[in-house]
Order: sequence, then structure tokens, then C-alpha cells
Amino acid sequence: MDFELTDDQQAVLDGVDAILARFAGPARAAELAAKGGYDDALEAALGEAGYAEIALGDGTGALEAALVAERVARAAGGVAFAASGLVAPLVAGRALPGPVALAEADEEGPIRFAPAARTLLVRDGDVARWAPLGPGDVELVPSNFGYPVGRVRASARRGVESLGAGSGRRLLAWWRVALGAEALGAMDAALRFTVGYLRQREQFGRPLGSFQGVQHRLASCAVAIEGSRWLVYEAAAQGAPDEAAACAASYALAAAGRVHRETHQLSGAIGYTTEHDLHVWSMRLQALRLELGGPGAQLRALATERWGAPPAGDRR
Amino acid sequence: MDFEWDPEDAAYREELRAFLARELPADWATLSKDGPGSDAQLEFSRAFCARLAEAGWLTQHWPAAYGGRDATPWRHAVLGEEMWAHGEPRGSQYMNVNWIGPAIMQYGSDAQKALHLPRISAGSVLWCQGFSEPNAGSDLAALRTRAERDGDVYVVNGQKIWTSYCNKADYCFLLVRSDPESKRNRGISVLLMPMDLPGVEVREIPSVVGARYFHEVFLSDVRVPVACRLGPEHEGWGVVTYALAYERVGAARYAKAALVLDQIAEHARANGRLGDPVLQERLAEARALCEAARLLAYRVIDGRVKGQPPSVDTNLARVAGTEADKVVGELALEVHGSEALAYESFAAANFRLSMTAGVAVGATEVQLNLIAARFLELPKGP
Repeated sequence: MDFELTDDQQAVLDGVDAILARFAGPARAAELAAKGGYDDALEAALGEAGYAEIALGDGTGALEAALVAERVARAAGGVAFAASGLVAPLVAGRALPGPVALAEADEEGPIRFAPAARTLLVRDGDVARWAPLGPGDVELVPSNFGYPVGRVRASARRGVESLGAGSGRRLLAWWRVALGAEALGAMDAALRFTVGYLRQREQFGRPLGSFQGVQHRLASCAVAIEGSRWLVYEAAAQGAPDEAAACAASYALAAAGRVHRETHQLSGAIGYTTEHDLHVWSMRLQALRLELGGPGAQLRALATERWGAPPAGDRR
Repeated sequence: MDFEWDPEDAAYREELRAFLARELPADWATLSKDGPGSDAQLEFSRAFCARLAEAGWLTQHWPAAYGGRDATPWRHAVLGEEMWAHGEPRGSQYMNVNWIGPAIMQYGSDAQKALHLPRISAGSVLWCQGFSEPNAGSDLAALRTRAERDGDVYVVNGQKIWTSYCNKADYCFLLVRSDPESKRNRGISVLLMPMDLPGVEVREIPSVVGARYFHEVFLSDVRVPVACRLGPEHEGWGVVTYALAYERVGAARYAKAALVLDQIAEHARANGRLGDPVLQERLAEARALCEAARLLAYRVIDGRVKGQPPSVDTNLARVAGTEADKVVGELALEVHGSEALAYESFAAANFRLSMTAGVAVGATEVQLNLIAARFLELPKGP
């Protein structure tokens, strides 16, 4: 057992932080989000520094990839790193042409990062398939949840090349870990940003952050975020066992809802505006909660994995 | 980072489970229904802890110089998890080994060490903790119990409350105000008070948590030898801070909650309810809370292994453990339905114990205050 970053892990994160300081952050995220854009410059910088291969690297693996995915989300980076750099390589055993978007074969709704994706990785029951995406396959859908989203043609959603028996299950587990890592990064940033605001915002003659009624709610969010952190790290480090992955996603997506609610409530009206940075994380948190059938589906999956609860009537 | 158990610690857990299967009587569930403070369980703990001591496990985490084995905090955590999960058959003696013994090692005189440490590590002595008072609960520094020096004794007058285990305790780790002029956390001393001194009177406070759970301890002109004082006079606050830092995460509530939750799920299955998606979600939510609490507690243990000073990680772990325990306690009632009305039922016994989570060993609100101040660095209130 060891709950601290190794020197190598710290070096990985220092490197990614340096890139994110140049090519990410709330201002850039808001600008990209307004036009449904993808951050090609950030993608290129991460690629040049070798982060695209980190999940299958020499001396690095899933945990390091999850740590990077968390960092990217914390900086509101406009790239699909969690899908391209964490999920796809660990399911396929090799990097797929990025950016990668993740989809479920029978889900007709808009898909995160689809407008920019070169590859669609699809869960179709027990197998995962992938397919190259062409320009005609995706229809951009206006959205203000902070990600470029698009509807993918039914024919393209089936995928082309199967990754073999059991790959659907692997995709599900890694997707859950990735959702947890992304939620963790965004929650952490949303809470820290809100805490900073409430330290200086004065009402009733003192900082709002000095009221105990406010402090306790923020402290409860901190517990939920730190709990998410270790569940996500453990699940990633252990290779996404089905139960641990479902547990991490269950807890982190519940925490994401709570952090969204509390940070907005405590920020007041300014929190709804685009001039205040909270939205770049808070809206993404809600988008993450919509994937894979949402928080309830992760919980039911956890009950199935833990106690063999019958997944009756549950298509996921 | 590494989330795997050391193979030797994992093997130790199995060995310990086998030991528990051998040593716990068949009627243990009934015996322990009133919790670790009941007369029956305290008496049981004397024999049980002696067996644990014979196996070399009771104080394995103590330094070899004091009869321990220098076991790592991880090894000790395995013991704590398995004990609490199985209804804490050590009774009150978890306090002895976790923090009373270590506090005596740090601050005790040679005579105090010679008197107390061998008895604690033999598992034959019971202690209670004389901290809370009617007007000093979460605000412990408001304590008023007086100890006036009269030659080589302190004359102690005052009242302690909410005390557990004192019905059978041999000694009390007692906080007193030794300097009558002092305020707050200055002027406090720690006395290792024998409970059989004249003037010590224990009265049970009947409660819904269980028999013999809470007591008042009235102290009337109790003459406690100065030789019983632990650490410097008037500087007991430092002793307590040290002792409780040793305690860190406290009882492994998450371990018990996780075990109880598995039993609740089994009950739901047996009654054909495990297919209910709403119940599945509630059970899973509780499972995730237990797991988060486990890892947050492990983070604290990791810090301790590395010799880091106590940090806000402890407060995070406590809040999470409390929430897990309470949610599971309530689920036990819901899933067992009206059967839970029976005092001796599994659900009722677990629910009663879970009720004290969030209040015992420091209110959740205090933990949240500390997280706000130290982790989020929010400004102080008025």
C-alpha cells in the first residue's frame, strides 16, 4: 500500500501541468465551448510529449493515464484524452487513431467529442467495435454542456472491427474509470474555484466563506471529492475490476451531482454567467452524469457485481 | 501508488479470521447485541484479549521495548478492521492498546510504565475515558472537574458524562482542571485514576443505544495520588492531543458497515427483493460509501506509516466513515422491515450502534469545521 505519487508519477504530472498551463484553462475552454470546438493544439502538444501512449507505456500504465485524464479535466482541457489515452488503448491493446469518441450501439443521443473524433469506439453488448469516423457521419449538435457533441449516423454507430469476446465488458469498466477520473478533475476544480470566490466575496459584512452553514456544505463536497479520488485511483491501478470500476463511477457521479448543486447554490447568480468560470467545470459534470445510462445504471451495475443482483430490465 | 496488500498482511487477515471463528462463541451475536460496553461483552473481553495477547497480536504494533512486535500500522489496521467488523470482541480494550498504552509510553514515569503496560498488553485490564462533562462535550476545553493539590494527592471533585465502559473499568484516563485559575486548554492535567477509590460513583444513563452504554461518573473528594498524574502538571492538553493523534481514524466503522451491508443484501435476496432496482441502487450507494471510507482511512494509515504528522485526512476519513455507518444502519431497518422492531434482531442491534456514529469521538460538525479551516482554508467565522 502506498497512497503517494512516485517520483516518476509526479514527473508525469508536472509535465502535463506545464502543457495544460499553456493550452488549457477556463478562458480557453469557454472560448472553444462557445463554438463547439476541439483543442487541436492541446491534442498535438500532449501527443508530442508522448502522453497519448502513456496507458501502454514503458513503466507507465492505466493509473498514470487516469491521473493525466484527471489533470486534463481539472484544467478544463478541450480534448478527449480520457477516451483516446485511457479507454481505447486499454480496451484495444493499442492506440486507436485519435481523437476517440465512445458510444453505445443502441444510444441515439448526441455523443461527446464525436464532431472531432476520427475513431468511434462502440460498446455493442459483449463486444467492443471500432470504426473510423468520416465528416459525413456526424451532425454537430449545439450544446452548452462544455463539450463538442454530435449525433452519429446509425450505420457508423455499429462499428466495423470487433475487438473480440469480452471486449464490451472491458470497455464498460474502463469507461467507468475514465468517467470517474474526468469527474474527479472537474469537481476538484469547481470546488477550489468556488472556495476561492467565497473567500473574498463579502456579504453581511464578512466573507461568505466564513459562514459555518456555507463551510459545512463545502467541506462535505471535499469529502465526496477525496473519496472519489481514491476509488478512481484504486480502480485504475487494479486494472478496472468490474466491481471496483462500477463503485468508482457510482460514487464519483453522485459526488459530481452534489458538487454541481452546491457550487452553484453557494455562488449565487454570478455562478450562472459565462463571465464567472464555474460553468466550464460544472456543466461538464452534468454531461458526464449522462453517459452509460447515468448514475442509477452505475449503481445497479455495482449491486450486480457485488451481490449478483439480477440485472432484470436493465439493458446496460 | 500501490493499492495491493502486502502478502504477509493479507495472510495475517486470514489467520485472524480463523482465530475469530475459533474464539467467538456460537451465541456471540446475542452476547454482543448491546455493543462493546455491555457487562457481558466487557467480561468476555478479559478472556478474549488474554487469548489475543497469547497469540502475540493484542499489542503487536507496540515497540519491542514494551513487549510489542513493532508491527506496522497496516498490520494493526487489519486487526482493527476485523475486530470492529466482528462486533469488537476486545470491548473497551481497543482504547488501551490504541492510545492509552502509547500515551503512557510517551509520558509515563518508570513506575507507571511498569504498572500499566504489562497489564494492558496481557489483555487483563479495563479502562474508561473521562473526558466529556455536562458542559464540555464537543467543546472539551471547557471542562471543569477540579483537582486541588493537597500534599501528595489531588482532591478531585466534579462530574464526567457519556462515559462508556466505566461500569467495569479498573482505571480511568481522567482529564481534570488542576489549575483552578486557568481557562480553556491551559491548566489541565491527566490522571490515571483507579476506579475503586472512595468517592467515585458510577450511574448508568439509560439510553436507546443499548444497556450500559452511557454513564455519569460523579467524583466527590476523590483522593488521587499525585503519582497517578500522567505527564507534566497543568500540561495535560498536550498529552491528550498526543494520545488522540495516535487514535487517528478510530474504530473501523466502514469495515463493520461493509460486512453488515453484505448481510442485508443476503437478506434481501432470501426474500426475493434483490431484483428491485430501487433497492439495488440504495444498497450500491451504501457500498460505495463504505469503500470511499475505507480508502480515506487507508490514506491516514499510509501517512502514519511514513511518519507524517496527523493531518486533515483524519477528519475526511471520519466524516466518510460516519456517513457509511449511518446509511447502512438505516438500510438494515428498511430491508428487515418490522422484524427489526425486536430488540435482539440483527437489524436493530446494528442500527443502534450506527446511531452513535457522528457523535461519538467528536461530532461530525467539528470534523467539518476542521476540513473547512485546514483543507479548504476558508476564513474563520465570528
